[in-house]
Amino acid sequence: MTPSPTGLRVNGRDAALDGMPDDERLLDTLRWRLGLKGTKEGCRTGDCGACTVLVDGASTLSCLTLTREVEGGEITTIDGDSEDPELRRVRAAFADAGALQCGYCTPGFVLALAGLLKERGRAAPVEELLDGLQGNLCRCTGYAAIVRAVALAREAPT
Amino acid sequence: MTAAARPDLALKLAGGARYGTDLDRPGMLWAALVPSPVAHGRVRSVDLAPARRRPGVVAIDADDLPGLLPGGGGDADRPIFPANEIAYRNQPLAAVAAPTLAEARRAAAAVRIDVAPLPALIDLETAFPEWPGSEAARSPHVIAHVHARHGDLADAFRTADRVVEETYRTSGVHQVPLEPHACVASVADGRWRVETSTQSPFGVREDVASLLGIPEADVVVEGAWVGGGFGGKGSSLLEPYALLLSRAAERPVRLALDYRQEFELGRTTLPSVIRLTTAVRDGRIVARRVRLLLDVGSSLPGRDFATGYSIGFLLGPYRAPAFEVEGYGVRTNKPPFGPHRAPFAPQCAFAVESHLDEVARAVGRDPVAFRAEHLWHDGDTTPFGQRVGPFGAAAALEQARATAERWRAAAPPGHGVGIGIGFWSTNTGAGGEVRLVLSPTGLTIVQGEREIGSGSVLRGLAAVAERALGLPPDRVRVEYLGTADAPFDSGVFGSRTVGAMGRAIVEASAALRATLAERLGSAGPIRLDLADGELVAVGPDTRRPVRELLAPAERSAGIVATGRHFAKPNAIDEGRVVTGEFYAFTDFTGSVHVAEVAVDRETGAVRVERYAAFQDVGTVVDRATAQAQVEGGIAMGLGIALTEEAVWSEEGRLLNPHLLDYRIPTLGEVPVPDVTFVEGFAGAGPFGAKGLGEPPIVPVPAAVAAAVRDASGAHVTELPLSAERVARALKLL
Repeated sequence: MTPSPTGLRVNGRDAALDGMPDDERLLDTLRWRLGLKGTKEGCRTGDCGACTVLVDGASTLSCLTLTREVEGGEITTIDGDSEDPELRRVRAAFADAGALQCGYCTPGFVLALAGLLKERGRAAPVEELLDGLQGNLCRCTGYAAIVRAVALAREAPT
Repeated sequence: MTAAARPDLALKLAGGARYGTDLDRPGMLWAALVPSPVAHGRVRSVDLAPARRRPGVVAIDADDLPGLLPGGGGDADRPIFPANEIAYRNQPLAAVAAPTLAEARRAAAAVRIDVAPLPALIDLETAFPEWPGSEAARSPHVIAHVHARHGDLADAFRTADRVVEETYRTSGVHQVPLEPHACVASVADGRWRVETSTQSPFGVREDVASLLGIPEADVVVEGAWVGGGFGGKGSSLLEPYALLLSRAAERPVRLALDYRQEFELGRTTLPSVIRLTTAVRDGRIVARRVRLLLDVGSSLPGRDFATGYSIGFLLGPYRAPAFEVEGYGVRTNKPPFGPHRAPFAPQCAFAVESHLDEVARAVGRDPVAFRAEHLWHDGDTTPFGQRVGPFGAAAALEQARATAERWRAAAPPGHGVGIGIGFWSTNTGAGGEVRLVLSPTGLTIVQGEREIGSGSVLRGLAAVAERALGLPPDRVRVEYLGTADAPFDSGVFGSRTVGAMGRAIVEASAALRATLAERLGSAGPIRLDLADGELVAVGPDTRRPVRELLAPAERSAGIVATGRHFAKPNAIDEGRVVTGEFYAFTDFTGSVHVAEVAVDRETGAVRVERYAAFQDVGTVVDRATAQAQVEGGIAMGLGIALTEEAVWSEEGRLLNPHLLDYRIPTLGEVPVPDVTFVEGFAGAGPFGAKGLGEPPIVPVPAAVAAAVRDASGAHVTELPLSAERVARALKLL
């Protein structure tokens, strides 16, 4: 087996991918190769959004992404602290709104919203942001608290 | 007192909570189940040799159990692997473990299965081409039969002005926690240890011990963080397989369902047919007859929980001088029936409310006024002879009617407004115990339940302790222990956590107060205050730091007090029971919902535009978590109402084991509801609180169906109200 030429940067740190099979999914790389369990495995078919991470700032379903496709890329996950301004803003908004219950969908929602804020900016209409979260499923909250968190994330001062 | 936030926010927002699916042990093997290819059949042979030839693979089937289990096996009625008759498709016939998940799956696929198929019963109605009469109880497919009656039914029907009879049908629904079932087992030195995502560590312990035929004391269950339960994680599912594989492999073994299996193997609410007959005289209901055919899957004979509990909800919270109820649990070739948030009550409320709407229209009455006139009040007696007690449904209905009138007045054409009424009861479970430890700086609640998401454990129990002891906010910590060390509790289900465990906390708090009063030399009430970061016991005329009140032996841990709670006694009038077991309610919690919907007159598609809930709650223990329960319950109820429907083929194959085809509500489909709490009608919990986990889901399909009828005239008698069903009712198809 040829050693992989490059690796990933995950949350600002280099991650080696030595010996990784070509068909490994980014979700499995993060969770089982790198031990970053914050990213959640739900359906593995791209329907629930629980595995959402940022790849070079863009919201991405890690269950449908081969790690090889994003080699050399910058991956942002929920794990630990982060200096990323949008991620910090969204986290604070979720905490203030109490926008989680079991928390299993939370990493996906937080990263998806952070990605939307990066892409569209805080001035984007709230409907546009809510629309962009339709691919993330939550079974606990009925989305009400998440909708409140989206409003807070737009409004809170930098 | 300011409201405290959920204590798990920061952890979960940093990805730090370890759920069942995250569990990982050094040297761990990955497991896979070998599913039955048929829904009903006989096992001719299971050949594990091709799997065992693969490197690092451990494989087991029924033949291995005597060697793996010290007692030779457990409950013969609930075999780990069916030795002979297969009860449902995908039932595990063998299990394998391997160094990776991919290798485990390949090994599972390599197992050679030979089965002789038998005719499968999938659709319960095919077992009863005619509606069941008295002979139905003798049908080989009926494994539970309950029957109760009261009053002079014959006279009431003979002298009625009007008799309305209707048949309703409901679909199977799944819990859909986003975290599928997952556990890691490690068996060593005679200890059967399993870490698992569960609503009931002690329930899993009991289940595992009984299934494997080993003493409960040899089983240790540790709860992980739970990524949603909704009733689906209340008893064991994967644990016995993981434990047996670990014993065989002498290594830790991880077993998790993939999401397709979560749909296929999960135990949940299955389809039903409900026939309701109502007799009216002089504008009043004089008699009601209810018949229920409930699919209970491959549940065991004699287990009539499903029918005996549900049937109480099919009479609704309404007065009727005479009634008869008869329920049949029909065994089909599906996984066993299992609880789904307020098991089967939303479906019952849908049928009852829609039917009474129809009855009211038949006798020329306003549907809501007609229901209001028959609604239970404190002092009424239920059909089963229980006293209703404080019940906030009428007060909630009054507010709901005002909202409905306002919305209807402002509704554009094509919109309709409906009201649904439901009730539920705080379950107390099989009892339990909670330990309080008071230190100089705070209180620790030591207990055996994991937080499943609702906040009832981490925030609800803390809020009860804050109130019971007058503690300053954020000085209470909830500590979880596994079954080896925790005080017993029966589980986080039945809306019971705050109601039942909370009572234990109140009892233990009283003991703590008595201890403090004695040591303070104070006769009056004691509360706790905070000064310079330390707790101070405050009596009417004296105050001292808790630190100074500790006995020498308490200086390291603190003052310990234990509280208990017990199941409430059954108060049903058994004279009304003809056969079977009916279940008593502890209290009565009313939920009244208002829905405004738009119905597409070309496609039948329903969109929920506005929603309001008026929730009888006794007293609000923690506002944020209470409101979150109502908001979440509504969304889950909208799924039952509009889109969620498990579909099986005639051969028992689940045709939509997939989130794309089994549609739960998305963010764009659920309006942010208005939530109003109706306080003052005391329930079974501490300070008169009523359990809230389940009540808010109960009236949702009923409210939506009423709104759809108001908007379009479509009287839909089947759940869910899919576009297709609404279109059929509107004769568009």
